[in-house]
Amino acid sequence: MQPREHGEPGEWLEATGVIGQLELAQICGIGTTDIDELVDYGVLVAEGPAGGPRVFSSEWVQPLREACGLWRVYDLDLFAAGLLLVQLHRIRKLERQLHELDAHLPYPARAGREGPGGWREAHAKSQA
Amino acid sequence: MKYKDYYAALGVARDADAETIKKAYRKLARRHHPDVSKDADAQARFQEIGEAYATLKDPEKRTAYDRLGTRPAGEEFAPPPGWQHEFATGTDAFEGMDLSDLLDALGRGRRGSMPPMRGSDVEATIRLSLEQARNGTTVHLDIAHEDGSRTLAVTVPPGAIEGQRLRLRGRGGAGRRGGPAGDVYLHITLAPHPVFRADRHDLYFDLALAPWEAALGADVEVPTLDGPVLLTVPPGTRSGRKLRLRGRGLPTGHGGHGDLYAAVHIDVPATLGARERELFEELARVSPFRPRALAGKEGSDAAA
Repeated sequence: MQPREHGEPGEWLEATGVIGQLELAQICGIGTTDIDELVDYGVLVAEGPAGGPRVFSSEWVQPLREACGLWRVYDLDLFAAGLLLVQLHRIRKLERQLHELDAHLPYPARAGREGPGGWREAHAKSQA
Repeated sequence: MKYKDYYAALGVARDADAETIKKAYRKLARRHHPDVSKDADAQARFQEIGEAYATLKDPEKRTAYDRLGTRPAGEEFAPPPGWQHEFATGTDAFEGMDLSDLLDALGRGRRGSMPPMRGSDVEATIRLSLEQARNGTTVHLDIAHEDGSRTLAVTVPPGAIEGQRLRLRGRGGAGRRGGPAGDVYLHITLAPHPVFRADRHDLYFDLALAPWEAALGADVEVPTLDGPVLLTVPPGTRSGRKLRLRGRGLPTGHGGHGDLYAAVHIDVPATLGARERELFEELARVSPFRPRALAGKEGSDAAA
C-alpha cells in the first residue's frame, strides 16, 4: 500500500454545530452589527443561553455567505439580503431533504419503472 | 498610471444619475458574473465593472475621478500635482498605484489612512467517489483568483459527506496593505455510485430477493465498501423493509461509522418454466395469504 500523499489540512465548516457571531461575520465578510440587524429583522435566528455569547447554528453559514455575496455583488440593501437569506436557507434545507429522500426511495420509483404504481383493492376490507 | 473609462465600462453617460448607474451595473454584473457567464474573460469583465461601480456610486470618488477629465482608456497619465500635496506624502507617493487604489486613497482623505484589506475568498467544488469519501484523499485544485492561479493540494479527511464545506484558512487571495489572506472553501459533492446511495453517513442499496427467499429467509451475499459479506434475511421479510448492517457506512469523523441498509424488494421470474408454474399455481391454491386484504386492518403493518 502506497503512503498517502499529504496536502493542506482543511476544517469542516459545519463540524461544531454552532458558530460564534464574530467568526460568522468574518466567514461571511460582513460586520457584527450587520448580523445584529439581521437578527433584529428576525431572519437570522440566534441560539445559546440568554445573556451568554450569541451563537448560531452552523446551518446558517452557507446561506448567509451566499446572501452576503449577492448583497455585495448587486449592491442590495441589508433587508433584501435578509429576505434572500431566508429563501436560501429554505432551499438548502429542501435540497438536503430531497437528497435524503432520494437515498430512501423504494426500488420501483427510483428505477423509473413504467406502468401503474402500487394499489390496493377498494373492497379489501370486506375480504379481511 | 493607466486611465480607465468607468463610464464606458458601465455603458452610461458621464452625467448619468446614481439610479441609472446602479441599474446599469446590476444588469452587467448579472450578465458577467462568473457563476452565470461562460465567457473566458467573464472574471476580468466582472472585476472591471465592479471597480467602475465602486467609484461611480461614491459621490466623492466620482467627483475626484471626473476631475481627471476624459481620456482614452489605457492612456498613461499622472495624477494632478495638487493631489500629492493634498492626499499623500513624498514625490513618489502615487508610484505603483492603480487608478482604483488612487481613488480609494482620495475617498478616504489620505493614503496613509487606508485600512488593511482582507484577501478574497475562493470557492471551489470537488467531486469525490464514495471510496474517497470513506478513506479520505488528497486532491489537487487549480485555484484562480486576482493574484493569479496556483495548484493547491488539499487533504480531505475520511468521512466527507454530500454538501459539506471544507475551509482552508488563509489559502485564498492575498490580503492588501497588510490585511490577512482570504480562505478557500471547498464544496464537497459525491459522485453517484453504481450500487450505494449515501444519506449523510449511512449508505443504502437495493437488495432483490426471490419470493421464497423473502418468505423462508436466506443467507445472501451483499456488497459493502469493504467487499461482499453474508447477510441473514429473516423469514417473512416484506418488500420495502430495510435490513441494517451496523457500522458498514461512512466514517463519522468521531471514531464511529454510519450504517449500511439493504432496501429489500421482491422480484419474480419474468418467465416461468413448466415446473415453476406448477409450483406457483399450487401455492396460489393452498395459500390463505391475501396481501390486499391486509390494507386498513387494525394492527396490520402491511402499509409500512
